[in-house]
Amino acid sequence: MATLRELIEGADDGDQAAWEEIVDRFSGLVWATARAHRLSASEAADVAQTTWLRLVENLDRIQDPDRLGAWLATTARRECLRLIRLGSREQPTADDWVLDRPTDEHLDSRLLARERESALRAALSRLDDRCQALVRMLAAPEPPSYEEIGAALGMPVGAIGPTRARCLQKLRRSPELASLESG
Amino acid sequence: MDEHDDQFQPLVSELRALIGDADPVPPLVTEGAKAAFGWRRLDADLAELLADSSLETESLARTRGTGAPVRSVTFSAGELTIDIEIHSDGARRTLLGQLAPRQSVTIEIQTFDDNQAAIAATDSLGRFRAQIAGGRQIRLRIVGEPPFSAVETSWVMI
Repeated sequence: MATLRELIEGADDGDQAAWEEIVDRFSGLVWATARAHRLSASEAADVAQTTWLRLVENLDRIQDPDRLGAWLATTARRECLRLIRLGSREQPTADDWVLDRPTDEHLDSRLLARERESALRAALSRLDDRCQALVRMLAAPEPPSYEEIGAALGMPVGAIGPTRARCLQKLRRSPELASLESG
Repeated sequence: MDEHDDQFQPLVSELRALIGDADPVPPLVTEGAKAAFGWRRLDADLAELLADSSLETESLARTRGTGAPVRSVTFSAGELTIDIEIHSDGARRTLLGQLAPRQSVTIEIQTFDDNQAAIAATDSLGRFRAQIAGGRQIRLRIVGEPPFSAVETSWVMI
């Protein structure tokens, strides 16, 4: 697998395939960052687009290729904050986050899995905002590093581990999940 | 990485599956990201975004009377500074800009889907004005007679 340095240099030299591999690796991180800020899908799409355009224009200025993910997360977060401050956007309600899409029908046949899934969703919706944002980052397709999560959420890297433990503990002990496990 | 190797790993995997199903990256977003590569800067210097009032803690300035928000952004490339006021009127954006030091140049406003969405020329004081629909990313491409070498600004969402 090509290193990030190789990919960035390749893209800077005009190699479309190298660029596409960068996008494939970090698309989930950028999207998670926007969604962790509770942006709607169309707002998140704008943030992602701006973030990738910014990377195109800065390909020759990325100093430390290993920190590309953190650079993208920082850029996306800044765009999110701008949009939120600028916006006449409506604040989404507390529960229209991962809960705003209907459950796939094919899951109906998997009753147990579905029960577990609704319990998880219910438990998630009771978490505080910070925990929900952190969970959204943890759930990005390629597990982000603590540095990337810190950059995405504007949290010191040292705070990620303890916050993660607190949030996941809370989730695990929520009545919804506890009742499922005892029953 | 050992920071992920812990007692919560099964729960995190479960969350990843759940949220991955419920909120995947839309294919159009990934396609847009890949297409962004078509906007590489080939023959121009980058004018970086130096300041953006919409990122300041103070809330937006407001014009007298109309109550319409005004945003100001500043780009810089070497000695050249480009200040732009962006006035919003519904979906319309009016850009009032000024180059310092003053330059006699052409300003092309590019959007992600249009190579030249608007065009303007500076007056004798280096000022320009353009109108464009908002809700999308733009950048300015500034071209002039030698020795002025072409400059492109960072992309901004307006």
